[in-house]
Amino acid sequence: MLLAVLFANSEGNILVERFNGVPAEERLHWRSFLVKLGADNLKGVKNEELLVACHKSVYIVYTVLGDVSIFVVGKDAYDELALAEVIFVITSAVKDVCGKPPTERLFLDKYGKICLCLDEIVWKGLLENTEKDRIKRLIRLKPPTEV
Amino acid sequence: MAQPLVKKDDDRDDEAEYSPFLGIEKGAVLQEARIFNDPQLDPRRCSQVITKLLYLLNQGESFTKVEATEVFFAVTKLFQSKDIGLRRMVYLMIKELSPSADEVIIVTSSLMRDMNSKTDMYRANAIRVLCRITDGTLLTQIERYLKQAIVDKNPVVASAALVSGFHLLQTNPEIVKRWSNEVQEAVQSRAALVQFHALALLHQIRQNDRLAVSKLVTSLTRGTVRSPLAQCLLIRYTSQVIRESSNVQNGDRPFYDYLEGCLRHKAEMVIFEAARAITELSGVTSRELTPAITVLQLFLSSSKPVLRFAAVRTLNKVAMTHPMAVTNCNIDMESLISDQNRSIATLAITTLLKTGNESSVDRLMKQITNFMSDIADEFKIVVVEAIRSLCLKFPLKYRSLMNFLSNILREEGGFEYKKAIVDSIVFLIRDIPDAKESGLLHLCEFIEDCEFTYLSTQILHFLGIEGPKTSDPSKYIRYIYNRVILENATVRASAVSTLAKFGAMVDSLKPRIFVLLRRCLFDSDDEVRDRATLYLNTLGGDGTVVETDKDVKDFLFGSLDIPLVNLETSLKNYEPSEKPFDISSVPREVKSQPLAEKKAPGKKPTGLGAPPPGPTSAIDAYEKLLSSIPEFSSFGKLFKSSAPVELTEAETEYAVNVVKHIFDRHVVFQYNCTNTIPEQMLENVIVIVDASEAEEFSEVASKPLRSLPYDTPGQTFVAFEKPEGVPAVGKFSNMLRFIVKEVDPSTGEAEDDGVEDEYQLEDLEVLAADYMLKVGVSNFKNAWDSMDPDTERVDEYGLGPRESLAEAVSAVISLLGMQPCEGTESIPSNSRSHTCLLSGVYIGNVKVLVRLSFGIDAQREVAMKLAVRSDDEAVSDAIHEIVASG
Repeated sequence: MLLAVLFANSEGNILVERFNGVPAEERLHWRSFLVKLGADNLKGVKNEELLVACHKSVYIVYTVLGDVSIFVVGKDAYDELALAEVIFVITSAVKDVCGKPPTERLFLDKYGKICLCLDEIVWKGLLENTEKDRIKRLIRLKPPTEV
Repeated sequence: MAQPLVKKDDDRDDEAEYSPFLGIEKGAVLQEARIFNDPQLDPRRCSQVITKLLYLLNQGESFTKVEATEVFFAVTKLFQSKDIGLRRMVYLMIKELSPSADEVIIVTSSLMRDMNSKTDMYRANAIRVLCRITDGTLLTQIERYLKQAIVDKNPVVASAALVSGFHLLQTNPEIVKRWSNEVQEAVQSRAALVQFHALALLHQIRQNDRLAVSKLVTSLTRGTVRSPLAQCLLIRYTSQVIRESSNVQNGDRPFYDYLEGCLRHKAEMVIFEAARAITELSGVTSRELTPAITVLQLFLSSSKPVLRFAAVRTLNKVAMTHPMAVTNCNIDMESLISDQNRSIATLAITTLLKTGNESSVDRLMKQITNFMSDIADEFKIVVVEAIRSLCLKFPLKYRSLMNFLSNILREEGGFEYKKAIVDSIVFLIRDIPDAKESGLLHLCEFIEDCEFTYLSTQILHFLGIEGPKTSDPSKYIRYIYNRVILENATVRASAVSTLAKFGAMVDSLKPRIFVLLRRCLFDSDDEVRDRATLYLNTLGGDGTVVETDKDVKDFLFGSLDIPLVNLETSLKNYEPSEKPFDISSVPREVKSQPLAEKKAPGKKPTGLGAPPPGPTSAIDAYEKLLSSIPEFSSFGKLFKSSAPVELTEAETEYAVNVVKHIFDRHVVFQYNCTNTIPEQMLENVIVIVDASEAEEFSEVASKPLRSLPYDTPGQTFVAFEKPEGVPAVGKFSNMLRFIVKEVDPSTGEAEDDGVEDEYQLEDLEVLAADYMLKVGVSNFKNAWDSMDPDTERVDEYGLGPRESLAEAVSAVISLLGMQPCEGTESIPSNSRSHTCLLSGVYIGNVKVLVRLSFGIDAQREVAMKLAVRSDDEAVSDAIHEIVASG
């Protein structure tokens, strides 16, 4: 299960958070844990360089893209490798929508589109789509090119 | 020319400063959402308002029921617009709002229309939305469309239906299970993602049907699987099939070739999945392991942290069961100690600590020292625990490991971390006699500057017990008395008790201890003063230096043999009067089980879990319990208590396990009983033991349990006499007898009348291993050489055909019940011969050392040479008898 996808700005403010199967009372804990993890480790990290951590049986893969840090959290089948795949899809879709690694402003300008991309990528905790070109078409309700 | 440039800069500043959602406010956005009701819809503005709503939701803002309903109804109006971008937003918005069942009806018809639309993309999205918001009744109406959608030629539609099916399986399994033909067809799809989703759903539908899963795996491992994701799933299902298939040890393992082939796949995730599957095969051989370890080793030097992490995590797991298989990776692993990612570095270190040999310990410790300063406490605790087990494995290396522990003890750190270090040092002092003096001094230095009261008091208590037995007890006094001068009242009081223990044990120190204790009489805290007064009186501090009585020593060193809860209740009930409180009036019956048994077996803390509890051992708890029962108080010192043996199956009406307590001339069975029926109360519970198959035992006492209420464990005991010092063995059959009373569930009160009833328990055996204590030695060779060669007895035994050498070795170890030394209990896989060193103390406090040499031939016949040395020749012979009759 993909437990959470979270976007934060460089100050640690949340831009997007989506939880699946995480009880409401634990979300705050996760949010602050991830933001702290980012603050401790993401300084000076190159765009899209993946960092990894584990906390008990839960895995976390995170990275930075422009001004935005991205975290994905998973367990069981969604181990560090599966999460790396998920975060790759997410970063490439975001780059595609924004045209470059986004500043915070650019990210917020494209907020609606980014939400649609996430909707195509993760379906209630399961990975659904994995190709950025296909996602780009799907959010505009265009069929994928292979059809 | 300059002007436009300046203007551009201004633009950029604006961009950085202002968020499009600056000052966004829920009330205003909800107001704006009213434009959804306009007869002339402006798709662009509507999309912007939906984006704002999404932003609010994603920030954790919540809508009240009324607000959500209002927005939902307004959003449904947007289905009138033909704008594609807006329609996509509408789908998302409806999912986010997750309307209630009575509201869903409003959009159902619009979504059903979209689901049958000619535009594929409307179909796919409508399916996802419908499945998200639908309930069982609506599902039967749309089931037909969903089945069609699964085999739709547009992969997006098919995937939407399949993933929806996956979620619906949780709530409506019966309906989704009817789709298996369509899903089966989708597994053959040429679209990679459809195949991935279909495979996951099909497995989920059929997961309880072993044959179906096995067929699925067989056909797909031969065919083509298009996406790496699906390939990973297939590998997981394959290992499930291998696990469940009967053990085919002789021939080749089924599907191994497939797994091994996946190690050469181009996608990294597939390679990893296959490598993990291979390493987790039960009874994996080193031939099978080698290719997996080789690919994992390559990933250790990957430039991507995720791959390094995955590789080291997998190898760390392998190292727990097959340390020898991982040693080839040690060089790559050592370079990971300096990895920027601390998770990777910690995993590398703990792996190295498991796989390293005695000669590499010093080098390893040097590297770890540099590493420790820049990791978080939770990682440090993992490392400290790994070092503790390493030290028990290589006792000869205690010096460098103890130094390491004492160095890190001096550095900054939180309570949990310091506690882990102190616990480790205490463990080493207890298990490695040579480490005692240096370990105690390290602890002394630590309390000179320790900010944790709990740790200071624990260490002072430990010092009081171990310090007086050292060669020069006087050197500890300074550290202890410093506590009296410098610390808070709790620590001061502990220090006073510790001083008194030194005074009681070491006569030469007594006059000086008296001087120090007298100074404590003027302490500002009453507890400290009281203790000092008490100890001065009990030790005879009136100036005469005499040998301390046994009674006083018992008082100082003995454990409080009264349950604290009972003491507390009695003290609360005591009314101040002329008559002093009489401690012997406190009931000694223990209401609940002692702590030692509550710990479920095998539940060891792992990873970042809490460190194991401090230095109280199970045997202390048992000793305390047994000595509190008058019938058993004359049995003398407890030699050994076994681990609890279950006498009932899991989940029966009454759960009973038994602990065997061995004394010199007696054996006591402690039956731990739990009543799992809420409507019953048991009284006068006793176990009737038939010892007809244990001739040398005769029952001498039993202690029934007065009452056994629901879910409150209690104990009943039966004691037997046996010939002194003889390792008598036998089989005992057990019958639980009690009076059962009905309990009124509403009031919880039991009826007055009860019925006598019986309950058959499993048989129990007293074995030769019950008379052996597991006591390790730090240096086996020295210990062996220092024993009289005349006591040595050697013989050879054929153990017959065995599954493996490891199985034969562990069978002999458990037969003898001795402590394996120097890590010789683990056997490199595929080795044909092995030497195992055991040590123990036999009943009568006779030290025993055993050297076992094993060999296995091609027919798996195992031969063993057994050499025993002990303090008593008769015991050496007894060990041979145990093996000969086992």
